[in-house]
Amino acid sequence: MLCKLTRWLISREVDRGIKTPRFALRHGERCGACRAYARFAASLPSRFAGERPAFLASVPDFPLNEARWAEDGGVREKRGILPRRLVLHPFPAAAAAILVVAGVLVLFQVVLREAGPSTEDEAAALAALKTVTAAPDEFQGMVGKVESPLAKERQILEQSVASAVEYLQARLNIKIERKDTPKSL
Amino acid sequence: MVDPDPITTKTDEELAREARAGSRRSFEELALRYKRRLFVYLRPRLGSDQDAEDMVQETFLKLFRNIRSYDSAFQFSTWLYTSANRLAISSYRKKKIASGNLDVEAAGALVDPEVGAAGSAGIWDAARNLGGSHYRVLWLRYGEDMTIEAIATSLGKSRLAVRLLLHRARKGLMKRVCPVPAMATATKTAAVKETPLG
Repeated sequence: MLCKLTRWLISREVDRGIKTPRFALRHGERCGACRAYARFAASLPSRFAGERPAFLASVPDFPLNEARWAEDGGVREKRGILPRRLVLHPFPAAAAAILVVAGVLVLFQVVLREAGPSTEDEAAALAALKTVTAAPDEFQGMVGKVESPLAKERQILEQSVASAVEYLQARLNIKIERKDTPKSL
Repeated sequence: MVDPDPITTKTDEELAREARAGSRRSFEELALRYKRRLFVYLRPRLGSDQDAEDMVQETFLKLFRNIRSYDSAFQFSTWLYTSANRLAISSYRKKKIASGNLDVEAAGALVDPEVGAAGSAGIWDAARNLGGSHYRVLWLRYGEDMTIEAIATSLGKSRLAVRLLLHRARKGLMKRVCPVPAMATATKTAAVKETPLG
């Protein structure tokens, strides 16, 4: 069990550069197999690198079919295929535009402004305003009109008082005279 | 004295950037650099030289088509092996559908019959005899000098899974490569010494 753990820790040091713990090193000093594994793991890079050229040289050479690349490239150029280039396709672009418009309509309500007054309406409004502003010129007349019911009432009252005076003079055989000119109301 | 072709002195990433910009010559140089490496990577998985060659061709064709999508933030080898892995898996699935009797694990563990179990001359042959994902991680790690992260990206596995595969591959390789008597002696000594520790 300790051997397995030690070898795993040796591999960890080889792969990640994390130092092997002291207990594993102590075990390695006692265990020949783990020591051999440590030596073997450490020797692998140089051994593999040393034998790599011979290993690759043993592979039979074969030609690369570069004509296929040319065909492929030619076809792509003919078709005008431009990989990884932004191209706006009509249908997706239209769909995106519709979505944007729909989104805007959902967020903002469109309200139509009322049409402005016509020239005739403006003229009528100005004329009405003039009649209102012209009122001060006939102010007395308007006041007179407003006061006319009061004058009538006063006249009726005076007539009734005069008839009452005549009755009392005749009945009591006295004479009643008006003192002064009546004050204006 | 003739100066060396400047294109051969460029790094893979420089060439890939030039290829992305439209340089056919740079892409050809990349293909030349990697065709054998890709072949030895794919060969045990596919079972025959012809299939491996076809897969190499397919991989480079795919890269040529998609060279504009190459991200220079990544190493070119990571991109290449990722594409190769995907193509190999896809090819295997097609074969499986066609034949109906292939097993995924078996396909991953195909061993080169020419190398065989009779013994290997070199450590790479021994690694190839491990088969499957053990050979692949060893190649990517020691043959291509890729980081654990890059291997994980290429194989579509987690970093921990890659480390575990590497660990098992090393142990398997040690059994094949190290002389048996020495190993046995070492193990026996260790077993005796370890007894008190359990």
